[in-house]
Amino acid sequence: MEPNKEIETRIEEVLKAEKENKIPRMTKRDYIIAAVITAIALIGIIGGFFL
Amino acid sequence: MSRKHDVNKEIENEVYCGTLPVLPKERKYGFIDALLVLSGYCIATWSYTQGSYLATLVGFKQLLIGAFLAAIFMLMIYQLPVIMSARYGIDIWIWLRSVFGPAGNKIVTIIIIVVNFPWYAVCCELFADSMENLLGLFGIQLFNGAHIILSLSCVIIGTIIALRGVSTITWTTRILVPLLLLVGVAVVIVGFTSVPMDVIWNYQPELAGDADKTVNYVLSIEANFAFVITLVGGMAEVPRLCKSEKSSYYAGVLGQGAAGSFFVVVGAVMAIAMQYVTGQMVDDPTLMMATLSAPILGLSSLLLVAFANIGTQAVGSYIYGVMLKSTFKKSSYKILVLVLGLYVAVLCVWGKITEYFGSFLTIGACVYAPLAALLFVDFFLVRKQKIDLKSAYELPGHTAYRYTGGFNIVGIICLALGFGFTLLIFDPINVVIHNKILFMLTPTFASFLFTGILYYLLCRIPFIRDYVICKGPDKKPFDRAKTPPRQNLFFMPFIWLICKFITAPYKLKIDKHNMDGIKPPFLVYGSHNSFMDFYVTPLALKPYRANYISELEGFEAFGEWIYRQVGCLGTRKFINDQYLIKNIMKVIKRGDVMVIYPEARYANVGTNSHLTPSIAKLAKLLKVPVVTINMQGNYLQQPIWNLKERKGARLHADLKCVVTAEEIGKLSVDEILSRISKELTYDEYKYQLENKIVIDDEWRAEGLHFPLYRCRQCGRDFAMTSSGSKITCKYCGDSYEMDELGQLHSSSGEIIHIPDWYEWQRGFVHEECREGKYKLDIPVKIWALPNSVNFVDCGEGRLVHDNSGFSLEFDNYRSGQRETLKFPASSMVSIHTEYDYRGLYGPCVTLSTYDDTFFIYPTDESRDVFNPTKIQFATEFLGGLYT
Repeated sequence: MEPNKEIETRIEEVLKAEKENKIPRMTKRDYIIAAVITAIALIGIIGGFFL
Repeated sequence: MSRKHDVNKEIENEVYCGTLPVLPKERKYGFIDALLVLSGYCIATWSYTQGSYLATLVGFKQLLIGAFLAAIFMLMIYQLPVIMSARYGIDIWIWLRSVFGPAGNKIVTIIIIVVNFPWYAVCCELFADSMENLLGLFGIQLFNGAHIILSLSCVIIGTIIALRGVSTITWTTRILVPLLLLVGVAVVIVGFTSVPMDVIWNYQPELAGDADKTVNYVLSIEANFAFVITLVGGMAEVPRLCKSEKSSYYAGVLGQGAAGSFFVVVGAVMAIAMQYVTGQMVDDPTLMMATLSAPILGLSSLLLVAFANIGTQAVGSYIYGVMLKSTFKKSSYKILVLVLGLYVAVLCVWGKITEYFGSFLTIGACVYAPLAALLFVDFFLVRKQKIDLKSAYELPGHTAYRYTGGFNIVGIICLALGFGFTLLIFDPINVVIHNKILFMLTPTFASFLFTGILYYLLCRIPFIRDYVICKGPDKKPFDRAKTPPRQNLFFMPFIWLICKFITAPYKLKIDKHNMDGIKPPFLVYGSHNSFMDFYVTPLALKPYRANYISELEGFEAFGEWIYRQVGCLGTRKFINDQYLIKNIMKVIKRGDVMVIYPEARYANVGTNSHLTPSIAKLAKLLKVPVVTINMQGNYLQQPIWNLKERKGARLHADLKCVVTAEEIGKLSVDEILSRISKELTYDEYKYQLENKIVIDDEWRAEGLHFPLYRCRQCGRDFAMTSSGSKITCKYCGDSYEMDELGQLHSSSGEIIHIPDWYEWQRGFVHEECREGKYKLDIPVKIWALPNSVNFVDCGEGRLVHDNSGFSLEFDNYRSGQRETLKFPASSMVSIHTEYDYRGLYGPCVTLSTYDDTFFIYPTDESRDVFNPTKIQFATEFLGGLYT
């Protein structure tokens, strides 16, 4: 297939897959967990100043 | 044979996936696979170097905090945008085109590789050191130059593995990572058992008298931030292969933050233990094993560490090779990997990379911190997780990320300021703190914050936000009313020079008739065969400058400014453009030459089209002399159905005044039209035959089936195909050989003049139209050209063509509605056609409104019945050009 058409076809498939959630998305819960881990790591770093 | 073939295919596939969006069904990595690959990338002997460096700064407890928590803190933030890679199956280098522009991205890519790749030279150096140290323990002394040979061998083997592709890389890391973890555990056990546990746990470095504990702690955090952030480039290729966003994200965080950091701590334990036992800090695990336990353990670890160095070199070459490939599309993956290998090899031969490693690492962090900030802010806060993929891949008509000559000035300025900001806080080479308050944030994190906030705030300013986000293609219609400038005087010498240069190989000869005393203003009507017309005409009109009418797609292709400077008036084909008439009058009024190609389309088979009375009416309106330029050979040199140039063609042009200023008022429209038509009658194949112009290219008939689509034998439409010098019917096999003088020969010896075949087909279309049987009703793909800037993708629609004219049903981007545009048959005397538009997009026809030109292509479904020639025949008959 001609390169641009191949890219276009793939982009359309990827966008369709995105709509259909074929690649599971990060959920709100996942973001909250990530934020909590980040906060813990930051607290740990700050705590290191007192060692 | 099959093995070799498979490996090549694997590499090609991987490189292909490296540049194209990876589809969900093609994803290879679950969390574990991605974790192993990324861990394999992060675990290297440079981790030991990092560990021993940290041990010179802080105690063991602070070291643990820095190695794990600082790494995880930074990773949790800057790895977050990789979910985009998993979502769209692209690597960040594709997405960075939106942040820096395609051209800016290339420069950033090169900078990253230049600052990052010395890491691999360090790996190779450490590999050579380990081998030398261990052999030394066994009393084996190596010859001079052995060190370079050992380090180069690491480069060579790693490069060979990288050339074998992703499967080999995956298996390498699957074996490598668990074994390296075992080595790490062994080092920890040996380290902790060789010295009392509390020696390591309570370890504090011996600081110089003026050293500040807090500053050292910040430096250790900074070292960890820099250590993890500089790996972002190498890790960027993996997430697009992951099966979920979460797995891509956490594989990146844990690959570095857990596995990578574990090895940093291992390096620190080793260094502390060695210092306790020998009084000297080392970063070589083989030496440590041999010294603290037994040489056999050193030997075992050597094999594994050697494998690690080679594995790291291989993974790095592969990842950066694919990264370069996605940026420099035309380059070969193998060549890129070899160039990377050569770069490392040169650094190894130089031999001072370990000495300057700190500088490379710091400068790398200075680049990466603002880069990571731009990624984060752009993805979450500016673009809000939406990327225009078609623009990122620079597909035709998608120019959202073209910015300013391919550079996103805002992104590049922020990157540069972020880099400078780091250096304002801290001088990493001389270890001088310039701003203690900001230094407490660490230079890397301060730069990250500064760049992120700066970029965000800039993007809050409306005109900058519009510039950065660039919401899709420019849809503003072309300003047809704008007065065209005179042909730029400074351009004239260059135009003539270029025209002379391009026409020279074809021995252009120009004859002028009745041109004595003819001076501008005057009107020129020219024959229209190919783009060569635009090179011949200026030479024929020399020394006068002229203005030319051009379809807007030429403006789009070459740029409006250039087209204006060379004197072009933009319009759309086969519409009643009153502004064009006004602009033509302005050109004549200011005393210039106005050139018009009245057929408004290239000759399909080198013969003229019928002309309409309107051109004679225009001449009478302008009241200036009428000159014709009939060009021969231009079609033969580059026929529209196959744009490859034929070197054998010879060019000739006749410039002739057909109506003088005195005659223009006296002659009738019909008389003027008759004179013009007579001079613009041509037959290129007749010209070729009469002048015995030999065109012997073996592919000379390829594409001829576009204008000659109907089989002369079986009478089926769209039956012909062409190859080499032959045109053949797909159904009945009737075949014709095109000779070197442009004539077709049947197998029975019949000689066919190509224009005769062409006109023979026209008769059948006329018959279909007369009988009311002509109808085309097909799905099509539509691109609109609203202006001189870009095309707009209108998706799929439906084209109907019958005796009433054209109707085009599609999603009109202007209204956002599904609409049907009607183009009555009587409104169009012809139609613009292409057989392979720009050599890329295949056959098409165009329909125009005042504000849009719609380029209409067949879909896969309608490709077999879409023939521009037949559509043109019907349009010209129904529009009244032919009867």
